[in-house]
Amino acid sequence: MTTEKKLTGAGLLFNVLEQHGVEHVFGYPGGAIMPIYDALYDSKVEHFLCRHEQGAAFSAVGYARASGRIGVCFATSGPGATNLITGLADALADSIPVVAITGQVATAAMGSDAFQEIDIFGLSLACTKHSFQVTDINDLEKVLHQAFAIALEGRQGPVLVDIPKDIQITEVNRYLDELVNLKNKVKLPPANVGSAIALLNQAKQPILYVGGGVGMANAIDELRDFAKITGLPSVSTLKGLGAIDPEDENYLGMLGMHGTKAANIAVQECDLLIAVGARFDDRVTGKLNEFAPHAKVIHFDIDTAEINKRRIADASILGDLKVNLPALAIPLAITPWQAVCQEMDNNFAWDYNHPGESIFAPAVLNEISNKMPKNSCVTTDVGQHQMWAAQHMVFDDPSNFLTSAGMGTMGFGIPAAVGAQVSRPTDCIIAVSGDGSFMMNVQELSTIKRFQLPVKIVLIDNAKLGMVRQWQDLFFNGRLSETDLADNPDFIMLANAFDIKAKMITKKSQVSAAIEEMLEHDGPYLLQVKIDAQENVWPLVPPNTANDKMMESS
Amino acid sequence: MNNYQLMITADDKQVVLERILQVTRYRGFLISGMNAKVNTGTNIGTIELLVRSERPIELLVDQINKLIDIKEVKVDNSAS
Ligand SMILES: Cc1ncc(C[n+]2csc(CCOP(=O)(O)OP(=O)(O)O)c2C)c(N)n1
Ligand SMILES: [Mg+2]
Repeated sequence: MTTEKKLTGAGLLFNVLEQHGVEHVFGYPGGAIMPIYDALYDSKVEHFLCRHEQGAAFSAVGYARASGRIGVCFATSGPGATNLITGLADALADSIPVVAITGQVATAAMGSDAFQEIDIFGLSLACTKHSFQVTDINDLEKVLHQAFAIALEGRQGPVLVDIPKDIQITEVNRYLDELVNLKNKVKLPPANVGSAIALLNQAKQPILYVGGGVGMANAIDELRDFAKITGLPSVSTLKGLGAIDPEDENYLGMLGMHGTKAANIAVQECDLLIAVGARFDDRVTGKLNEFAPHAKVIHFDIDTAEINKRRIADASILGDLKVNLPALAIPLAITPWQAVCQEMDNNFAWDYNHPGESIFAPAVLNEISNKMPKNSCVTTDVGQHQMWAAQHMVFDDPSNFLTSAGMGTMGFGIPAAVGAQVSRPTDCIIAVSGDGSFMMNVQELSTIKRFQLPVKIVLIDNAKLGMVRQWQDLFFNGRLSETDLADNPDFIMLANAFDIKAKMITKKSQVSAAIEEMLEHDGPYLLQVKIDAQENVWPLVPPNTANDKMMESS
Repeated sequence: MNNYQLMITADDKQVVLERILQVTRYRGFLISGMNAKVNTGTNIGTIELLVRSERPIELLVDQINKLIDIKEVKVDNSAS
């Protein structure tokens, strides 16, 4: 016979998670969150034990980005909570909907420097979209619903809910039947559709500049229709990759610091820039006051604060892209300009010829991209390998390319791949990592092992913190400082220790067979690709320089 | 440096003041004066903020407006 258990705060948490359709959470237990882990026992929610709270946060981010659903992570108070912070900051910079639940010491102990007490609520102010600390059990249900609503509303982002231990064990009645709906609080000013249409019609050399907001708004079809109807030559940010149809004949690739020559020159020469869900980030613009110097600007966004933040807009179109893009989709008479752009695109196409026996990372990544199954999802870490993946792999949807764009966080790739694989169990998930970044969340190999996730890891190994080494060579007179990783561990042995099949290749002649073996392997696999430490990422727009003054070799 | 006076109304949450101060500092505005009170009847807080910056005030207004608990932000232009 079972006795009727009264609902507690912890039980209520799982009721609300289930109500929001949450099936998977990533986390790590500890003292102040034990009642929640106890209630997990009775819940339908599946928990993935990560091996570091930063891993849990990034897995939640990867889960959200790969699937379009909210990512959820749990951590205990004090060190557990502080370990989440990097992941939350990453989610804030890339506008990713994540709900983080932290345990807190009991309310009576709060403010007494109790064991494992840290003011995570205070710490959260700068690294979340919003945060809550629940000090009254009667607020818990409403707060949790609000957390979900806020994470998804308008410009998406991470929300943290800090729940003291006594609140987790207090009995509670559910009182909300309906989900709380938030209205978009900030009233958006009316879109300048009329002036935008006039600008479009006057322009002779317009460029479509596409950012991560398109994927976040789920407006890929609308964007592609807009590009097709207008015939606009287009460029993409790092986070926007995959939004534009890669086959679109007017698409010029990524712009910015490591953008294509065609994209950067076209933007510098354009007379109208149509920014869609993009924010004129400094890695995109180079020297801001010389960025697209002749262009008027039409700026589409959901966030009022992005309009005129870094570049004045001549027409702002605030609101839902799904509604606003079709409203401005008109055919334009820009055939000569299209021809100029297409010619640049052809003239400056990538060249994969590379002398010598040593492996050329851009060619490897391009070959993987050509051979990987449709709907594969690629995650990256941060550095040269990340830029090579962005340049040389082709994506047909932003949810198939997960990279830490705004924050540039090393250690993102492996846990993000874990989250992506959990959310898309049948798709091929490939983590492109670097030998430096890999070690930053290497403990998550244990998560891969525990859940037998068939993640493929491509480790681009230059035995260097390559991107920093490149800058030291180019801009610090070759004074190499703390960028050598010649004493890296034996990565094959390391992978094997986690039951992950692994192989190292060192010569061009080994590349094709190794890629095929990796892609055909049933379970997790690590392919260590040794490359020459001197390889650089080209083109490169040096810091504080206009984007058309790119370097193409040293 | 330009001086601006902001009138902010917000839900009375303990943390609201902290959020406003954090955003103000982070976005590059110096605070030269502040006055905050709560109407216990309506539970609405009013914050009067005097700030200085080289940057246009719209940058700060837009960012404060994004804070979830903020009801309204008004700029009193007579302050400069
Ligand atoms: C957490 C974190 N710390 C430091 C950096 C600075 N950083 C950017 S790229 C890079 C080197 C990365 O090395 P690796 O992962 O081997 O990639 P590679 O550039 O060699 O391909 C460093 C240290 C960062 N982006 N993130
Ligand atoms: Mg490296």
